[in-house]
Parts: sequence; structure tokens; C-alpha cells
Amino acid sequence: MIVSWNWLTDYIRLDMPAEILAERLALAGLNHESTSEVEGDLAIDLEVTSNRSDCLGHIGVAREIGVLFDKPMWVPAARPTSSGPGVESRTAIAIEAGDLCPRFTARVVSSVRVGESPWWLRKRLETIGVRPISNIVDVTNYVMFECGQPLHAYDLDRLAEHRLVVRRGRAGETLTAINNRVYELDPEMLVIADATRPVGLAGVMGGLETEIGFDTTNVLIEAAQFDAMSVRRTSRALGLSSPSSFRFERPLDPEITDWASRRCAELILEVAGGTLHPSVIDVGGPPADRGPITLRLAQIERVLGIRIEPGEVQDILTALGLEWLGRTENSVTVRPPSWRPDLEREIDLIEEVARIHGYHHIPEDRAVPVTSAPRELRERVESEVRGLLTGLGLNEAVTFSLVDEAQSLPVGPGSGPPPLRIEHSSRKREVALRQSLIPSLLAVRRHNEAHGNLDAELFEIAHVYLPRPDQSLPDEPTRLALVCGRDFRQIKGVIESLRARLHVSSPLRAQPVEVALFAPGRAARLLLGDIHLGYMGEVDPDQLATLELRGACSAAEIEFAVLMQQAQLVPLYRPLPSFPAVVRDLSLVVARSLSWADLRAAVIEATGPTLAAVEYLDTFQGGNLAEDEQSVHFSMTFRHPERTLTGDEVDQVVKAVVDACASRLGAKLRV
Amino acid sequence: MSSNDPLEIALRELESLEQFSIAALVAASSPEALEAARIEYLGQKQGKLKAAQERLRTLDPAGKRVYGQRFNGVKQSLEAALSAARLRLERRAVAAGAIDVTLPGAIPRLGHRHPLTQTADELIDLFGRFGFSVARGPEVEDIHHNFDALNIPPSHPARDPLDNFFLSEGTMLRSQTSTVQIRVMEAQRPPVRVIAIGRVYRPDTVDATHSFMFHQIEGLMVDRGVTMAGLKTVLRLFARSYLGHDVKIRFRPSFFPFTEPSVEVDMLWHGGDRWVEMGGAGMVDPNVFRAVGYDPEEVTGFAFGLGIERLCMRRHGIDDIRLLYQNDIRFLEQF
Repeated sequence: MIVSWNWLTDYIRLDMPAEILAERLALAGLNHESTSEVEGDLAIDLEVTSNRSDCLGHIGVAREIGVLFDKPMWVPAARPTSSGPGVESRTAIAIEAGDLCPRFTARVVSSVRVGESPWWLRKRLETIGVRPISNIVDVTNYVMFECGQPLHAYDLDRLAEHRLVVRRGRAGETLTAINNRVYELDPEMLVIADATRPVGLAGVMGGLETEIGFDTTNVLIEAAQFDAMSVRRTSRALGLSSPSSFRFERPLDPEITDWASRRCAELILEVAGGTLHPSVIDVGGPPADRGPITLRLAQIERVLGIRIEPGEVQDILTALGLEWLGRTENSVTVRPPSWRPDLEREIDLIEEVARIHGYHHIPEDRAVPVTSAPRELRERVESEVRGLLTGLGLNEAVTFSLVDEAQSLPVGPGSGPPPLRIEHSSRKREVALRQSLIPSLLAVRRHNEAHGNLDAELFEIAHVYLPRPDQSLPDEPTRLALVCGRDFRQIKGVIESLRARLHVSSPLRAQPVEVALFAPGRAARLLLGDIHLGYMGEVDPDQLATLELRGACSAAEIEFAVLMQQAQLVPLYRPLPSFPAVVRDLSLVVARSLSWADLRAAVIEATGPTLAAVEYLDTFQGGNLAEDEQSVHFSMTFRHPERTLTGDEVDQVVKAVVDACASRLGAKLRV
Repeated sequence: MSSNDPLEIALRELESLEQFSIAALVAASSPEALEAARIEYLGQKQGKLKAAQERLRTLDPAGKRVYGQRFNGVKQSLEAALSAARLRLERRAVAAGAIDVTLPGAIPRLGHRHPLTQTADELIDLFGRFGFSVARGPEVEDIHHNFDALNIPPSHPARDPLDNFFLSEGTMLRSQTSTVQIRVMEAQRPPVRVIAIGRVYRPDTVDATHSFMFHQIEGLMVDRGVTMAGLKTVLRLFARSYLGHDVKIRFRPSFFPFTEPSVEVDMLWHGGDRWVEMGGAGMVDPNVFRAVGYDPEEVTGFAFGLGIERLCMRRHGIDDIRLLYQNDIRFLEQF
């Protein structure tokens, strides 16, 4: 809302510097956006919150200034003289949609001279950024910016049968608005019609065919109230907003309607001449009186933490226009004015008292009771994970939850259910809620490649959104995803490091799996013990090409909740071994199809309790080995808890391993 | 023994010879200097040690025994000092094959935490010290938690479909973390002291200061005796701990359906001339308490919400919010 300094002085004496005025208004709730000088006047732009529609007009802002600076204000009486036959002889109003239009008033001024507005009127509108059009239209705008009530003026002689009907639009009807655009109407929209056709979108914009022209002589002034949601729906549906719809979308002063109509008539007589027909057609009439509100004085201190003297409470509330109905020792009772529909409850009055008293009086050094809030498991595990992964050279990314449909699929075998989608006109692409973080990280990797940052190694911790057929809200598990240029074993090593850092006791297991994103034979499902952890693999070269990625990369995505459940953030001490270990290496020639997991299991089974560790070293293929053979090189660490092992003892165990692997797996000792 | 005793004089001179000669050997900084010192003290013909040895002849048999013993000790220590000095100079010569210690270190690849999570972690940490624990809630929400329970009636402009990301009927991407307030209060009785942190979504046109997805931190404290003065105190403590001791805060009246009174929280930095809007706050609206089954006559509460991006950008001098989501390595590596 832009207000003109000079215009405000019609209602209140302004003897303070403009900066002081702006600051006081800001600290009372009308945030100051800017002040600019416009040819001898000041245009002050104020941000009006949606509950304070009373400040969408100069009178409301003046009233607020009056309260803040303790000054009297004046509002024009708006008592235009009328003569001739009654207004009922000139027009008729019917409300067919009473649910959307509680009140509609009409006045008629005949024999006006339409022309340019006088200088003062043009000047005021120009100061607040409104383009002058003609004296009649300018007056309707002027009164709207004066009191907040939107108005519309019709050329009465262009209305079929000289009458108006407030009704819903009909399918197939169209209206050419004063902006020269044609709008298709529907039964959701409230329209103002004459006997035959719509002539305006109620509260939004008038029609071109019945607008005031320079040949207009008889004017119908509309001042009405429309349902806020209906106006908003129509405005949004048509992509058409106006200062009028902006105001009607908010709760307006229900009693200002008739004043605005009188004021409009008065100014039309002043700037365009003509004759006002006596009285008004007022369908619906003014609303019933509002009930009183009781404010318990103790509640002020209970909410604000400070005491405000009852005398000051009374001063503030009456200055704001609340009618004083009386007080007891503990409470006051008031009736809010019609222009403050936002004041309905005790708490609303407490806010008014606080805001005018001033928030700077509220202390900021109160004792707040102490309570403990230890870091939750989630924060601690996240912190460990971030610390480890950054230490291993990966950068943390934060990417959008909304992605292209093609990037929204879950990682894993099969395709999964379709993703959840948002429905919004501003977004055509990236409307799907992702079910995996990996595509987003691959896109980040591509962005980096394109900017010369080769081999971006990334991770992200974020939700994915998995539809649940039986529930309206999706499952939102937190996932940890990694994408980097390392190969399968290296990225698996990163996950094993995670497991070690979190002191997870269950072993990490990997099972071969077919996942579309990953190269065949180079993907795994991961488990911690028997619990599903996630998927990892090397990205398929075809997929790399589709994604326009140049460098090879691998990816993993794991369930953060599983890490959290299995993390042991307070590890328990294990006594250090008292006796030395003996390490023996072995190279066994086995079938290529034999997995390390199976070989390892066979080794463990053959050794017994003295085996402290089995460690994979490397695999050799080719050379003098057969095509379907491989030589696996590993080391075994033996230790006895109570004594030093002898070489013979260890030799026997190693022999048992070789024998068992030979008989069970067909393994041969490599020589 | 008197001081004129020839033995005592000889021993004193021997001792002084030992001190001076060792000092000369230790001080020699080049092979040449060492050789000169060697000739001076240990030289076969003119060396001072040789001269000291000849002193032996001037002593009586008992003196010879004492002096001879001491002389041998001095000779050994001089020879040891000579070889130590040679070794030292040799090692210095070896150091000609030394590395350039001013070469840069071989740096292991090091990743970086995203500035947003760094900011969030810091906030969690700070509010944790004030006794706020972390609460979380879903990002896909129902209308009840995002609007109804937050005292946002169906007619409120905040519910406009253009200003929200709706999914199918009845669900939406949460437009504020206040939804978590409701879920926490539905699940536990007062007192409550939590912060909710996470992603929120609004269909803003993306530019340098707006994103359709961003992060909020929202605090909620409910108990008997919670007041606006307490709110101001907590926010002032926060501002000072996070932004600096000379930061001031002020409240400006505002409007949020779920708090009343509602305020905007402005902060002023030392040396700054402009108050900067940091977030919204207020006392929990009685209707919100009723929606979760709390009695507004029994408890009061405050809530505040801060934009994490804004805090992060302010703290690190980042001038474009889009940088935070591009994840360019050259950007991430700065934090």
C-alpha cells in the first residue's frame, strides 16, 4: 500500500519528520518498504499484513498514525445532496447468489459530464502510482484508496433494462473486461450481470461494454461485499488480479460500504456535476452488531511477561476505536470497530496492547529454566558419517527433492511404483518426488564435469519419498547416497569404513543383483547381517552415455535408519591380546566362479578358535592357470588367548585349511 | 695441598685444556676449521695435548700416577669429541641430497561438508545448549498438519493452490516446518522444547534470493509461564552466540495464523546501519493449542522460525542462493 503524505494530511496533522513516521509505523506493524519523493509529495510504501485490510486505505493509515502519535483525526461525513426521483425509479438490484454477496448497494448520478479529473485528483492518484483515466473512474479509485472499499461505476444506459443481477457465471458465457481481454466464465465465478449478460467479474474487474465512456451521462455506483474466497478463486482461475480483488480477498470493513458509496457520489458531483438520485438501493444491509470481547488483565502479563497498567490498556484500546463497555477489577470489556474484523478474541486484544505499547519494552534478559537436550542418535550418526566421508575425500551435496520423472525411479531390481507428483502450473519438468538420491548426485557430477571439475566425489543424506498404497502419506526413509569415480571395491571400502567407524558388529554382506543403473555383474545388494542396507555398483557405460557423463563412476545408496540402528556410538573395551599372533599366507587355486565369501567361510570353518582374522590380499588369473581358474591369495592370523602358539600347531591348522578347501571346493595349493 | 703444588697446577691446566679444546672441536663448522682445531690440540708435534703429556716428566712418581691417569681420560674425551665433530660435519655433507622442505605437502583428498548442513549443525548445537532437542516430521504432509491445526482456515490466502505444492487430494509438500510443532504436541504433553529442522517447499520463482525448496529451523517452547519476554531472551541469546556479541534484536509486529502476538525478528550487526529481517516468531495461538488438545488456560508457548539459507548466506557472504544447490565442487571446497 502506497500512501501519499499530502493525502494523509486530509485526515490528520503530520508534524513529524517522514523518517520518524515511517519507523513508528514499522514498529507498530506497517513495515516500511520505501519512501520516494513525487513532485512535492512523498509516496510512502507500506507493507500491510493480510489481517490488516483496514490499512489498505489512507484513512486506516491515518487512524493508525493518530493512535501512535496521540493525535485527533477527521473523516469526511460524505453527505451529498440529492434531488429528483428516487434511485428505485432508475435501476433495480437482485442478488441471486446471496452466499457470495452479502451486501450490494447502488446509487445513481445522472447528467454527469465525463472528462479529465481536476489537477488535485490526478496528482494524488499519480503519487500512489495509479494512472488517471476519467473523472468518474478516478473518483471510484480515489475512494478505494481512501477507505479500502473497492467500487465500480457503470454506464447505466448501457445496462440492459437498466438493472443488475448478482449471480454465478454460466458455462459458455464470456466477458470482455475493461482490459480488453475476453474471459470464459463458469458457475464457480460470481458475476454482475444486467438483464441479458455478464457486465463484470464481481470484485475483480468490470466489463468493457458497460464501462464509463466520454459519452456517458448516467452513472450507477456499485459498492458491495463479496465472498473473499470466491473473489480469490475467480482472480486466480483467470490469472487476473486488480487492486479491487486484492482488497476483496481480505476481510473488509462491512460497514464502510455505504460510506464509500456516499463519498463516491459526493466526489462525482464535485468533479463531474450531475444529480444524485435520493437514497440508495441496499440489498443485504449492514451486518449485525459484533459481540463484546473481555480481556482479563492478568492475561497480558501471562502472555507478554510484562505488566501494563490498566489505564494504559484502556487508552490503547479506545484510541484504536474499540468501544469501551466497562471494566471490573480484573478485566475490561470492549467492542471492536467494524474496520477491525481481525479483532475477535482476547488474544487479539493482547496483541494490540503489546504492539502499541511497544515491543521494545519487553525485556530480553529473563531467566529461562535449564533443561538437558543431549544430541539425538540421528545427529550423532549424521555427524560421524559426514566426518568420515569428508575425510575420505567426498564432498557433501544438497540437491532438490523434486526431479524429472525419468530420474525419480528407486534404485534396485525392478522398476517400483510410479513416483508421487506435484501439481503446479509453475513447474512442467521436475514434478516428481524422488525415490533415490543417486540420479541427483549423477546430475551434480555432470554439472561439475561440464565446468571442468572432473571426478566430483559426492554424498548426500536426504529423504526419498516412497508411495504407500494403503496410506495417504508416503514413507520417507532417509538415505545416504555416494557417487564417485572409484571402482567397485573402493566404494565398497568406503561403506566398510562407515561400518567400522560406527562400530557396527554385524558383518557387511554383498549379494550379486541386477540393477538397471549398474553394469551387469558389477552391482550388489548390501546387507548388515541379515538386514537390508542398500545397493551399490558401477554405473553402466550405456547409462553414463545417456547421462552425458564422461568419466566412469560408481554409486551406492543405503538406508540411514539401518546405520542408526546398528551404530554403537559407545564401543566397549576389549582386552588387548597377551600373546603374539602368527600370520600365514596362502594362495589357493580355485574355480573362477567361487566367491571370496564362500572361500572365506570354508577357511573359517576349517580353522577353529585360534583363527583371529582372515584377510583377502589379491587374486591372480591367467599365466599358467586354466581359463576357469583363479588363484586367491589371502592371509590368516592365528592367536591363542592363553599361550604362544607353536609353529607346528599353526602348520597343522593351515594344512587342515588346505585339505578342507581341497575336498570341499576343489582348491589346490598354488606352487 | 697448597696451590703451589706442581701436581695441582698441572691438573688445573689439564682441565682448562680439556674445556677449551672440546669447545673448539664442537664449534668447528667446517672440515677446515676442525682440522685446524685438531692440529692445535691433538697435533702429533706441536699439539697442546702433546705439550701436556710432556709435563708428566716434571712430576714426582706419585704425581705422575695421578696426572697420567687424568691425562689419559682427557685424551680419550678429546678423541671422542674429534670423532663426534667429524661425524657431525659428515652428516651435514650427506644432507646435500636433502629434500626441499618448502615444497607443498602431498595433501590427501579431502571432502567438505555442505555449508547448509554446517549451518544446520551449528544451530542444532546452539539451541541444544538452550535445552531444545531436535524433532523431525514428514515433508509430504496432510492439510490438517500444514493448515488446519495451525489455525489457517480454508479461506486464508496461504492455502492458495498457486502458493503451495499440492499432491493428490489431501496431501502437499509442507510449506513450513511448523507442521512438526503440531506433530510433537500431538505426541507429547507439555513441557515441550524442540527445534524442527528441514526442507520446506513454496512455488517461488527461483532467483538469487528465492528457491522453491529451502530449509527452515523452527523452535517451539511450551510450558507454564512461557512469555514473550522469554522468547526475546532466547532469540537474543541465539543471535549473540551465533552472530556475535554486539548483535541487537528487535521485534516488529507481524501476522502469522499460528502465533499471536506475531512478530518479525530483525537483527542489527555492529557497525551496520540497517536492521535485517531474520525470521518470524510469536506466542503460540490458543487455537493451535486447542487443535492438539493442550489447554491454553494452562500453558503458554512461543515459536520462532528462521531460514537456514538466509543465515548461511549471511554468515559466509554468499550472494546467490542457487549456488547452494548447484553443488559445484569449486563452491563446496570453500567451506
